[in-house]
Amino acid sequence: MAKPTTSSGVQRSTATAPGVHPRPFWSVRPQTDRQSGDAIVSNFLLHWFPAKTCKPSMNWTYSFWLGTMSAALLLLLVLSGGPLLFLYVPSVERAYASIKDIEFAVTFGSWIRSVHRMAAHLMVAAVFLHLVRVFLTGAYKNGIGQGQRREWNWLIGVAMLLLTLLLSFTGYLLPWDQLAYWAVTVGTNIASSIPVIGPTVRELLLGGRAIDQPTLIRFYVLHVIVLPGALGGLFLYHMWRVRKDGGLAKADSVALLGDRIETAPVKTKTYTLLGVARGTAPTVRASTIEAPDLTVNSVPDLTRRIAIVVLGTIALLSLFAVYVRSPLEEAANALVTPNPAKAPWYFLWLQEIVTDTTVRIGSFTINGAFIGGVVLPGLLVTLLTVWPWIDKSPLAAAGVWFPRTRRAQNTAFLAIVGIVIVFTLIGTFCRGPYWNLYWPWQAWPEIPTRL
Amino acid sequence: MTEHAVDRRDFIFRVGTGAGIAAIVYQASASLRSLVPNVSYDAPTTVKLGPVAEFPDGLKFLPDERLFVFREGNTFHAISAVCTHLGCTARAEALPSPEAKEIGGKSLRLTHRFQCPCHGSKYNGDGSNVSGPAPKPLAWYHLSLASDDGQLVVDLAHEVEHDFRLTV
Repeated sequence: MAKPTTSSGVQRSTATAPGVHPRPFWSVRPQTDRQSGDAIVSNFLLHWFPAKTCKPSMNWTYSFWLGTMSAALLLLLVLSGGPLLFLYVPSVERAYASIKDIEFAVTFGSWIRSVHRMAAHLMVAAVFLHLVRVFLTGAYKNGIGQGQRREWNWLIGVAMLLLTLLLSFTGYLLPWDQLAYWAVTVGTNIASSIPVIGPTVRELLLGGRAIDQPTLIRFYVLHVIVLPGALGGLFLYHMWRVRKDGGLAKADSVALLGDRIETAPVKTKTYTLLGVARGTAPTVRASTIEAPDLTVNSVPDLTRRIAIVVLGTIALLSLFAVYVRSPLEEAANALVTPNPAKAPWYFLWLQEIVTDTTVRIGSFTINGAFIGGVVLPGLLVTLLTVWPWIDKSPLAAAGVWFPRTRRAQNTAFLAIVGIVIVFTLIGTFCRGPYWNLYWPWQAWPEIPTRL
Repeated sequence: MTEHAVDRRDFIFRVGTGAGIAAIVYQASASLRSLVPNVSYDAPTTVKLGPVAEFPDGLKFLPDERLFVFREGNTFHAISAVCTHLGCTARAEALPSPEAKEIGGKSLRLTHRFQCPCHGSKYNGDGSNVSGPAPKPLAWYHLSLASDDGQLVVDLAHEVEHDFRLTV
């Protein structure tokens, strides 16, 4: 075979250069360790992963892959949001009719809408469970690596959970049905209950003093540009930080718990990847975290699992969306509040606490809208934000499920999670007309819809 | 040459950076300011509700104004249906038998009570909050007769005390 030559006639070998291999798709199925390492560096989709991955941190039962699942759902949301962008009309006169068209007139429209809606619901759940997992395993704690800032990644994660909730909120407003209209009413009145600045905040959110076209276009632009853009940016930063922090906290715990022996450089290791030197350089130190028995090539071990999780999520959700149709309430009607008027499940605990937190001290009353809608959620978010700096548990407590040294804080955290879940269940199953309590098996009294 | 704390290169760098930051801050705030509404096309607050004869004795609910208008013989009063908790529309429920209540020296016949579907606030027939998260009573609004055609007129920007009555 003739070797390619440059114009000056100098012979150049292509097959031996790093990252260049003659077979097509060689980076998907590398034949050697060298090709496996090159696959990460020279492949656009893979270059943000490390060449080698700590094997225990890929355990199914350590992370449950909830972060990857959330990312897969975000991908699905972007993909299914694409066609919806072409079909939905953000106008108070036509929004409801355009959703009706998507649901009943557009080919595969109801499936696309269902994929979008189910993915949104599951993403709220997946992101929340991801946060619970990270807290319970103390994975926001720094380990033995240099330059680790896991607490910052936790902060970004909290921000991403809030963005996910805001995206869901702005998303279910868009059909401009009864759910949407009264959710905007209640949501913006919660903002309005903040002392001094409240009414101004409400006016900014609504784009006026009444719920009308300026309101819909604001929430629409937030939903399709501002919030997804912010979430996408934070997602990329989140992933980059995982890399900078040396992978999951599990990797640190593995290195900490095992004997840390300096091993001799391994022959097959490609130090070119580290940017240190070409070939195998004897001066490079390796600790047990990079020892061959604990790490595996990212291609295919990491990429295979990512493929299983991402493709599995997409497959299950696509099927699921065939069978679960998306509801649409009656068109927005400023004249009639539905009875009961329930928020989506992930906000029902908030609806429950704004109901229960109006405080009366003598003749002085503080609206539950402010305490339950602003102060308590604000307090929860603040606690989540500062917790990595409060948590003084030892290093060995990171990357491990339910360590003894974190028992107290894990219990307190689970108690708060439990309260949120109980309130959500009460709101879902036990609240009926006029927000009265009924048992799930109890029939609701018949109440005329109009006076 | 003498030593300067800030040489020319430093000085120009600082002026340039400062000007850049000032420009970005100004342009960003100008862009954001455009989102603060200068005009709000609100519905008028003074609304004609219809001829007096159209109001039966007892309660009439006007969904557009979110208003309960009560008539007791020749006297009228109007109570807002907007829940003081988070702004949903409260619904009226007729009492089995009317009750009498003394408010500000004037007696009031209570024929209904009000409940909010969103968070379960309950109000008495005079709008006072009884239970649930509502922090204050429902608003009472000023009623008058139009000078031109004698229709009932409500002023939704004018809250009144609970002893307000319009006598026709």
